[in-house]
Amino acid sequence: MEVVFKGIYKRYGQVTAVHNLNLKIEKGALHFLLGPSGCGKTTTLRMLAGLEAVSEGQLFFNGKDVTKQPAVERGIGMVFQNYALWPHMTVYKNIEYGLKLRKLSKEEIKRRIDEVVAITHLGNFVDRLPGQLSGGQQQRVALARALAIRPNVLLLDEPLSNLDAKLRMEMRDNILRIHKQTGITTLYVTHDQREALSMGTNVSVMHAGHLIQTDNPRTLYTTPKTAFIAGFIGETNPVDAVVESVNGSETTVRTSFGLLRSTYQSATFNAGDKVSLSLRPEAIHIDWTKSGTGENYFMTNVEHLTYLGESEQFLLRAAGGHCLKVNFYHAPDHSFHEGSEVGCTIDASDVLVLPPQDMGPST
Amino acid sequence: MIQSTNEEASAWRRKVSDFVGYGTVAVTIGILFFFLVLPVSVIMARAFFNNGEFTFRYFPLLFSNELLMGSIWNSVLIGIVATIFTTILSFPLALINARFDFKGKALLSGLLLVPMVMPPFVGAIGIMRFFARRGSVNLTLMDMGWIDTPIDWLGPDNMFWAVVILEVLHLYPIMYLNLTAALANVDPSVEEMATTLGVPKWKQYRDIVWPLARPGYFAGAIIVFIWALTDLGTPLLVGYHETIPVQIFNMITDVNENPVGYALVFLVIVMTVSFFVISKKALGGKKYEMMAKGHVSNEKKHPSWWGYPLIYGLVGGTAFIALLPHLAVLITAISDKWFMTPLPEQYTMEHFKQVFGTDLAFNGIKNSFFLAGLSTLVDLVLGLLIAYVIVRKLVPFTGALDGLVMIPLALPGIVLAFGYVVTYSDTILDPLHNPVPLLVIAYAIRRLPYMVRSATAGLQQMSSSLEEASTTFGASRFHTLRKITVPLVMANLIAGALLCFSYAMLDVSDSLILAMKERFYPLTKAIYVLFLEQGTGELVASALGIIGMAILIVCIMGSSLVLGKKMGELFRS
Repeated sequence: MEVVFKGIYKRYGQVTAVHNLNLKIEKGALHFLLGPSGCGKTTTLRMLAGLEAVSEGQLFFNGKDVTKQPAVERGIGMVFQNYALWPHMTVYKNIEYGLKLRKLSKEEIKRRIDEVVAITHLGNFVDRLPGQLSGGQQQRVALARALAIRPNVLLLDEPLSNLDAKLRMEMRDNILRIHKQTGITTLYVTHDQREALSMGTNVSVMHAGHLIQTDNPRTLYTTPKTAFIAGFIGETNPVDAVVESVNGSETTVRTSFGLLRSTYQSATFNAGDKVSLSLRPEAIHIDWTKSGTGENYFMTNVEHLTYLGESEQFLLRAAGGHCLKVNFYHAPDHSFHEGSEVGCTIDASDVLVLPPQDMGPST
Repeated sequence: MIQSTNEEASAWRRKVSDFVGYGTVAVTIGILFFFLVLPVSVIMARAFFNNGEFTFRYFPLLFSNELLMGSIWNSVLIGIVATIFTTILSFPLALINARFDFKGKALLSGLLLVPMVMPPFVGAIGIMRFFARRGSVNLTLMDMGWIDTPIDWLGPDNMFWAVVILEVLHLYPIMYLNLTAALANVDPSVEEMATTLGVPKWKQYRDIVWPLARPGYFAGAIIVFIWALTDLGTPLLVGYHETIPVQIFNMITDVNENPVGYALVFLVIVMTVSFFVISKKALGGKKYEMMAKGHVSNEKKHPSWWGYPLIYGLVGGTAFIALLPHLAVLITAISDKWFMTPLPEQYTMEHFKQVFGTDLAFNGIKNSFFLAGLSTLVDLVLGLLIAYVIVRKLVPFTGALDGLVMIPLALPGIVLAFGYVVTYSDTILDPLHNPVPLLVIAYAIRRLPYMVRSATAGLQQMSSSLEEASTTFGASRFHTLRKITVPLVMANLIAGALLCFSYAMLDVSDSLILAMKERFYPLTKAIYVLFLEQGTGELVASALGIIGMAILIVCIMGSSLVLGKKMGELFRS
């Protein structure tokens, strides 16, 4: 089932929770909706499920307008963040409930339950009450219950947020496997960027009610559209700057620690524009010899040093008081100390020029 | 893929579900209008209008009537003194319950609640027996040589105190429950913080615990005050006729000739409403949200070596004294030869046999079971639906609906019964013909707040995603309510229903006023009528009272078991 959001708004009185959302989820895709809490992603999911009314815009399932259709008729399977298992029904009854409402024959109900129980490895637990299950098992029951009705679209609302770290890894693989087996169009809402990056091929990032960028994880990381995404996906050093000159696809910007040349701009800028730079910690290279010169080279002082096992993170203070995080693998020796001066260099392709933070999200 | 026939079917189902939903809301509002708003409005109108003309002359008549003015004064005084005494009695009990752990706590705490469902007017029978001129107390005192002539305990000067004591012994559990809930709600960490700052313990109580517990205290205090002020049964049986409820009771029969009754009832409404508002707005103060979410130590202290006797003495002693009148009733009920001795010389079960042998008594039990059962059923359905509408915010004016449903907590039963008589005389509901409909409705309306509170508490604890999950599977609202919601709040429904049933069983004012034909007398009216009879009537009345109390004990123990500590919240306004 292909799902299309067209110009969707959700307003609560004066507050606009979702702002002009346009999104297409391909048939059979596992699509991620990523964003910090309060960004409107759960509201979007609930509108899709029919649990919240759409204020403005249209929602299409396979080209058919379902905006006004109630939840009942959309054929949605949903896994709630708290699982919402009915505590007074056994696992079996929980799964059976939705099937019974569909007036299926007894044999068909039995067959479908067996099927989803097998897929989610719940065989030994069907007669237990939800309270007698572990968190991971409850999660699987919620998944089985949603899958049993063979939904048009499967909605997962932060499905792993209530699990501990180890179980979370296990369930990620589980969900990927089940998606592959069933091929159901799935929308997966999460605030955990690592979850989205590691599992997804299509990730939409939302911020303050706006959908900002939809791309694969690599593109999101290397070429974010806004400073927010640069900061939200992975770690970065945000730096305020002013555009000095523009020359074709190249931009030169002025920072408090000197001029930087860039070959990536997320939008068109003119000389004099205020911009925000994103410098990834691993993109900055430290020059111990302090002998470098030329473009994209600047001097810093070691402010602080954090040992992280496989790597070390330096906190470097550049001219103008700017502090930069730099990751360094295999430091050559420890002859330097806090306070010593080192040189830094960065490739022009790693200087990301983005709209300034305070301008808010733009689409 | 979804087929269109499926779609049509489900659209139809949804329409039915919507119809049921809005229908119940409409029916609820209709019932509340006809049996709560309308009767009160009729009283108000009659207090100011005579044959369609505005008049103010009933009030000067009322204020110049010495008997009525004396009654008002007496009743207000009963309310105030009873409230003060219940406070003094309940504060230490609540503090002990909230702060200490000791052996037998569960049992003693349960025992403390029993007087709540013991009808005070049945206790009055026992008190009258023990404190009569030739009663057990006087005889004992004379035997011991402490007095020479019997003391007139229940003489005109002492009736006031007899009523107050009976009310206090009946109503202190409500205060105790409210205070316990309020104190339990005070996060111990706010006190611990004060301790680390070096604030002395007494100052902590004054500056921190009391302001936080105050809304709970006044919520309980106003109920105690209004109930003590408007209780009909106790002053009626003690014979203290110079009180508002008894005066209203006497006026009902000739209210058409003597419209001052309307003015008096109007005054009672004004008084209770204004006391209610004052206690809520001015005295109760703001209700504070407890913000602490971190570790809350629920550990309760064990009393020190000298604390044990104090606690057992206080808790056990209170329960014992509160149950003493009912113990007296029990002794009366099984007494055989009892003449000029402190305790009966012989005991018999004869009076219990008589209960089942006389139509009046036996019908009383049957009628009460029927009426209380039916009204509980009404409460169950209405209460659940109203709570559902309020918690899930299905209509825009839920706040107003909640306020409307809670009115009966503050509205005296005698006012409501009076309103029913004047509103529905000479209609199809006239209690002179058949009081059953009005009795069931009166019982139901007055206990509806408990049911709504109980169901609301359950629904609020239940995550709404459990219902939404059902919705995503295509279940209608009604189907979800039946299969998911009701089973999950069942404990609250049972507890609320038991409470409604208990209170309906011992209802006095509605029963005495509305049950106008002997065939329809409920338990309480049967007890009253038997009590007035000559001969062994008083003894049979006692036996009947004991049977009623036995039923109630079973109910209250049951609801206490199901609901636990949350019971205090039911008596809030």
